[in-house]
Amino acid sequence: MQHLDPDHHDGTSDATPGGERDKRRPGELLFAMALTGASLFLLFDAWGIENAFGPNGLSSPRAIPLAATAAMLISALLVTVKTLRLPLDRTETVMKDILPVTVILFAALLIAYGVLLRPLGFLPTSALFLIVAIKVLARRGWFWTIGISLGSLVVIWLIFRIVFSVLMPSGVVPEAEFIQFFRNLTAGGGA
Amino acid sequence: MGSLMDFLTVFTQPQLLALVGVGTFAGVYVGAIPGLSVTMAVSILISFTFSWDVYPAISLMIGIYMGGVYGGSRTAILLNIPGAPSAIATALDGYPMAKRGEAGTAIGVTTVMSFIGGFIGIGVLALAAPMVSDFALRFQPRDYMLLAILGILLVGSLSQGSLVKGIFAGALGIAIGAVGRDPLTFTERFTFDLQLMEGGISFIAVMIGMFGVSEALLQLHHVDKAAVRQKISRVVPSIATVKKHLPLSVQTSTIGVVIGALPGTGGDIAALMAYDHAKRVTKDPERPFGEGAMEGLVAPETANNAAVGGAFIPMMTLGIPGDAVTAIMIGALFIHGLNPGPMLMIDKPDMFWFIVGCLVMANFFMLLFGLTGIRLFTKIVEMPRSVLIPLIMLLSIVGAYAVNNSVSDVYWMLGFGVFGYFMRHYGYPLGPVILGVILSRLLDDNWRRAIITEREDLGLFFKGVFASPLSTVLLVAVILIFVSQTPIWARAKAKLLNRKERVQ
Repeated sequence: MQHLDPDHHDGTSDATPGGERDKRRPGELLFAMALTGASLFLLFDAWGIENAFGPNGLSSPRAIPLAATAAMLISALLVTVKTLRLPLDRTETVMKDILPVTVILFAALLIAYGVLLRPLGFLPTSALFLIVAIKVLARRGWFWTIGISLGSLVVIWLIFRIVFSVLMPSGVVPEAEFIQFFRNLTAGGGA
Repeated sequence: MGSLMDFLTVFTQPQLLALVGVGTFAGVYVGAIPGLSVTMAVSILISFTFSWDVYPAISLMIGIYMGGVYGGSRTAILLNIPGAPSAIATALDGYPMAKRGEAGTAIGVTTVMSFIGGFIGIGVLALAAPMVSDFALRFQPRDYMLLAILGILLVGSLSQGSLVKGIFAGALGIAIGAVGRDPLTFTERFTFDLQLMEGGISFIAVMIGMFGVSEALLQLHHVDKAAVRQKISRVVPSIATVKKHLPLSVQTSTIGVVIGALPGTGGDIAALMAYDHAKRVTKDPERPFGEGAMEGLVAPETANNAAVGGAFIPMMTLGIPGDAVTAIMIGALFIHGLNPGPMLMIDKPDMFWFIVGCLVMANFFMLLFGLTGIRLFTKIVEMPRSVLIPLIMLLSIVGAYAVNNSVSDVYWMLGFGVFGYFMRHYGYPLGPVILGVILSRLLDDNWRRAIITEREDLGLFFKGVFASPLSTVLLVAVILIFVSQTPIWARAKAKLLNRKERVQ
């Protein structure tokens, strides 16, 4: 079977194989070494799993974790060696192709979302997140940004709350009372 | 008779029917919009349909699955961007057709062929699954173990990329699945004495992180890529066209079902293999392959939709997923208290026939939505990524939070999202991770059962393996996958090929 990659290693498609075939991407070696280190650590940890009910034999709870982490270590080592042999792709840089500022910013935004979710509640946190994110990405006027953000948030909230009955932390917004108000309203109107 | 009634359940309940319809409709768009994948959609949906009954939840997911596998072809044809991995091969001939102004014909043929392929897949599922499950009752624990390993390895080796990276990903998945208290002895594994880790890592958080957030982060690189407009003419293909390609479509559907039914391999691989097959058997295409050959559309599209039915066979009968999406569906069934495997077919045959019914319905809806609504479609696909990406991230967070109402799941999800982002960049396949997580428990349980019955003696274990033809075949298959990736195999192949060329 031929290797099919109609120019999509640039990430325009969902089917994204990483990088050029015979070149090492910036940071790839570091990643492989980090995986090797992590595998080694996990292997040690797996070795420490003790069977409370008998010998640490082939059927003990440590068997599969040990086998899995050993497989991880061996494959990570092989990958590291293979990566080491490839020439570095000089056309790419970490800042441009692997970890641009936007990605770091969004990772930070997502973490901020997790931190704020409980104290602030779903609606305000999501509104803030969407406004900042869309503003950064689309670089359009505030009016457009806020309109699109709040509009899509309302749609999402309605779908979740009504169709899927997902309960998100309400935080500072009295969500339940709000819904009850409308329920009463419609019930009153219907009766 | 009972199975017929179960099969008809979905047709008699308007609510379920509507859910399949909505699912298929959504699936077509999810599959078509680059940056949204079916795997992503189904993994996010699990957490949302968590509070529903099994039937409606499954109806929705099946609709999305069926529609999504088809939907990827749309953008492949119109924009040369496969909306889903299973549509990579479709772009090769679909886009040249569109450039020639035949986008309508291409979409029409794709739709009808997907429909035919889908039906062949479902037919095989309905016929084969009961037989396979009867057979599966005789499986030994070691066979399950070998099947699980085979599944994880197949995903790693057949997807594009290196097997070593695939093995790493699969092993990582197994390790992630082992986190928490061991179900047999209650021993803590990989918990680092943290209470947080005792319950294990929620596999939904892993899934949404890997397929949702990492994808969204990757798409950040391409915010500014503008969509290209194509003119679309007549969509419904003529009967003559369909008739002409019927023999090929039956062949490629067969490839699709078989590949789909292999544990671990799904529509993307089936489509590529079918494309390869079409290239070999089509003697005189009207246009050469790669420049808009109709056969180049027929083959991958029948195959990837046939693979859907195929993928359900191992999932329903063995509890071993046929591809990443069915892996997630297994998770969904677990959440709803069902245990996929041979006993499911015996205890709850209604579930099986209900799923078959849903698939049939989804296939019809796919045909309907495929041949209509092209205008609306072009509008939706042009939705700017600057809005789409933040929305996907929001959905991912809500999805991860909703299952256990826990913020720590959100952090797990984000962690795996960032990790998956790097894995994608450096060419590590993500499919094996998910398969590993899902199959970890099955692998662990069956290995221990197998080795305990052999009194912890590896010699006896292998004696048992070689005493049973099935186990032997499975073991040989596992070994072959390894050998096929080593230099020895490449050398042997080169030698064989050389000899062939000399004969010619």
